[in-house]
Amino acid sequence: MSETLLKVEALEKFFPVKAGIFKRTKGYVKAVNDVSFEVKAKETLSLVGESGCGKSTLGRSILRILEPTGGKVLFNDKNILDYSKQDLRKMRRDMQLVFQDPYSSLNPRMTVRELVSEPLYTHFSISKMEADQRVDEILEKVGLPLEHSKRYPHQFSGGQRQRISIARALVLKPKLVVADEPVSALDVSIQAQILKLLVDLQEEFDLTYLFISHDLNVVKHISDRVGVMYLGKIMELADTEALYEEPLHPYTKALLSAVPTSDPLVKKERIILKGDVPSPTDPPSGCPFHQRCPLAEEKCQNVLPEFVQVRPKHWVACHLVEQ
Amino acid sequence: MAPILQIKDLQIDVKMDEEVLNVVKNINLEIGKREIYGIVGESGSGKSLTSLAIMGLLASPPLQVSKGEIFFEEDKDLLKLSSRELRKIRGNKISMIFQEPMSALDPLFTIEDQLMESLKFHTKLSKKEMKRACVKIIEKVGIPRPEQIMKEYPHQLSGGMRQRIMIAIAMLCNPKLLIADEPTTALDVTIQAQILDLMKELRDDFETSILMITHDLGVIAETCQRVAVMYAGEIVEETDVVSLFHRPKHPYTKGLLKSMVGDRSDALYSIPGKVPSVEQMPKGCRFVTRCPEAMDICEKVSPDDLEVADNHRCKCWLYQKEMANHV
Ligand SMILES: Nc1ncnc2c1ncn2[C@@H]1O[C@H](COP(=O)(O)OP(=O)(O)OP(=O)(O)O)[C@@H](O)[C@H]1O
Ligand SMILES: Nc1ncnc2c1ncn2[C@@H]1O[C@H](COP(=O)(O)OP(=O)(O)OP(=O)(O)O)[C@@H](O)[C@H]1O
Ligand SMILES: [Mg+2]
Ligand SMILES: [Mg+2]
Repeated sequence: MSETLLKVEALEKFFPVKAGIFKRTKGYVKAVNDVSFEVKAKETLSLVGESGCGKSTLGRSILRILEPTGGKVLFNDKNILDYSKQDLRKMRRDMQLVFQDPYSSLNPRMTVRELVSEPLYTHFSISKMEADQRVDEILEKVGLPLEHSKRYPHQFSGGQRQRISIARALVLKPKLVVADEPVSALDVSIQAQILKLLVDLQEEFDLTYLFISHDLNVVKHISDRVGVMYLGKIMELADTEALYEEPLHPYTKALLSAVPTSDPLVKKERIILKGDVPSPTDPPSGCPFHQRCPLAEEKCQNVLPEFVQVRPKHWVACHLVEQ
Repeated sequence: MAPILQIKDLQIDVKMDEEVLNVVKNINLEIGKREIYGIVGESGSGKSLTSLAIMGLLASPPLQVSKGEIFFEEDKDLLKLSSRELRKIRGNKISMIFQEPMSALDPLFTIEDQLMESLKFHTKLSKKEMKRACVKIIEKVGIPRPEQIMKEYPHQLSGGMRQRIMIAIAMLCNPKLLIADEPTTALDVTIQAQILDLMKELRDDFETSILMITHDLGVIAETCQRVAVMYAGEIVEETDVVSLFHRPKHPYTKGLLKSMVGDRSDALYSIPGKVPSVEQMPKGCRFVTRCPEAMDICEKVSPDDLEVADNHRCKCWLYQKEMANHV
């Protein structure tokens, strides 16, 4: 067994909802609600789930880009939520985030070379020559022509900007990379190239990935394990093959059935979920999924199912799954 | 029936330092009323620039339309309208879903402000009616707690929620033409399906035509009637959706289809090599550097855009040669 690099315990991120002229807090958006899991060194753990279920918030809370409101984040057995700003800054060298929205995370006044070398200068005392060389190397790897390194972000297409963002995170060769939808703006061909790059770099530098995506096809391809989120909670977590071949949670089953077809003449059978995703400010009692679950029973309405291991390496939060 | 949009020989250039380089060239296409028309192509192939040109939103300089016409509703050449006339059409008769939501949403205004702004400008509803319309559209794009969301700022929403707010803004005025640039990239499959249905509903209820720009062949397969495949700034193949998937002609299209990860049972395929940069565009066919079927002539001369079957255009020497032999 390889060692645990990251351990998340009962992590919580609630955003206050303010109202009225005095801006009183009248409730909370429970974006991440009692989430626990572990990531082993050198593995790829993916998180999937519908839009708004809390994936980005979870990723950002782990890196303390957002301050969690509860729980623990253990990186190499140390709770980084206790770290001072200064310790945290050192830590960042080893924990990097690829942002979901490259447009707002890239400074428009910096050239590509400046953008990609900035993290190097921040974290290492490094000569310009060495920095340039590392920037060249990574730009080449993400498929951006070197002659474009003097350009500014707005001079690129959407997919090219996403690759700048990836280069910026990977140039540091961090231990843990939280990649928030790193390939969603890319076409299949470049998507495949970038995924291959992520896998190659993982082997070369022993990287560990927490990979956030809504694309079940992409996730299937690159993950060792997959966690499924719903309304701020993890509902199911298992080895990739087990999750895709034998999903246990009704929500996972519905998600998998919704993957689109690849042929205009084929129409696929889908499990259509009834109703809308409930509001994270006022999550339902009992199982958060019960209102939309085709199998829900009375118990599901009242009792919150625990997240338990039901098979070897397979966790699920559902009353209907037998242990 | 007369097309709603007709692009003729569009060319876009970019001025870099002293040079003028070509980024988009020879774009010809027609979108019918109620038609959903797709553009696919790899990253950097010129899809967004083409759509921005239609909207009159190219950042010029350095970008400029150097040639061509874009007719809207038959007689109006959008490229010849004044910026005032364009503003009246934009967000009303033609609206656009931008590829990057944060570039289109104003971080300093609430979601309500941004939705109302578009309604105020283009309709004569009372404030209460407008508010009701806003809540309704937020519900329709599948975002829970609409009343609360209206009061929030863009940074308080998730990536997919922002994308859906932008879709809501674009649909609010029931446009005649909706340009959707990668509208569902940030959305999971369930919500994607819901949004695609919503677009079809818009088409059915208001005869809206949709230009669907995407790199996702699955989205094309599910929604479009006709498709143009772009490569390095040019349309290399154009036909109906079934022919494209079942009888592709251009080697590039064939490669794209092969790299489509339908069920991803086997290793990821990607077309070897990469799209040439504008500085290093090949002289002949722009795909020659990556084409498995390249011939001598492909390096030297650019092929013509020819009708190779009924309603099926392709820009490739394989077919041009074949046709020449028949003459
Ligand atoms: N302002 C600019 N200056 C110079 N080149 C530009 C500028 N804007 C875009 N380009 C170039 O033009 C080409 C086409 O860009 P466009 O944004 O249309 O691509 P796209 O097909 O939408 O790609 P993606 O799928 O990645 O969004 C790209 O190679 C890009 O680098
Ligand atoms: N800064 C914030 N203030 C208030 N609420 C927020 C903030 N950031 C996120 N939220 C809320 O938290 C919930 C989860 O958002 P998050 O961005 O984590 O979702 P996500 O799973 O990444 O979705 P997507 O796939 O759409 O990116 C959403 O309801 C969102 O509105
Ligand atoms: Mg997100
Ligand atoms: Mg684009």
